[in-house]
Amino acid sequence: MDFEELFRDFWWLLFPIFGMSMGLIGMLQTESRNQQVMRLIKSYLDQGKEPPPELLKLASQPNDYGTNMSGVASPGQRNSSVWNFVVFFALAAGFSVGYWFVRGEAYAFAFLIVAVTMGVLALGALFISLTSRRP
Amino acid sequence: MSEELFRDFWWLMFPVFGMVMAILGMARGDAYQDAVIRDAREKLERK
Repeated sequence: MDFEELFRDFWWLLFPIFGMSMGLIGMLQTESRNQQVMRLIKSYLDQGKEPPPELLKLASQPNDYGTNMSGVASPGQRNSSVWNFVVFFALAAGFSVGYWFVRGEAYAFAFLIVAVTMGVLALGALFISLTSRRP
Repeated sequence: MSEELFRDFWWLMFPVFGMVMAILGMARGDAYQDAVIRDAREKLERK
């Protein structure tokens, strides 16, 4: 089995491998950075000094890994979910139209896969924006 | 052979471009946050 054959059979693995790698790297970096920020803020407070506002902003900004345990979304987070819904819906619609135009071709399934994935992500974003409680 | 491969998978350019942009975006965000932490640490050591 040469490279071309291997690539033709497993090209779709690019996407889950990329997603898993980004998720893992992002999670590890966020964890390490949060610890550094907390240690620094503690050092400032131990010395009786005011931590820099940029550092406090870094500590208070929500990360991508759902550390907000209250279930109450801020207006910014809700707007973000609505915006995600709009973006994913637009992508799903675009790829659906693309699939419709090339549905006779051999590679049409790729458009369908992306359209379905974007559609599911759009529904997820809509569900989150509808179910997140107001503060 | 490679021309045929390109004809079949040209559309992969778009998701690959998205992946590259995602990596660059993550690197830029990380660089900014590292700079904030480094500045705060230097400020604390200076005082």
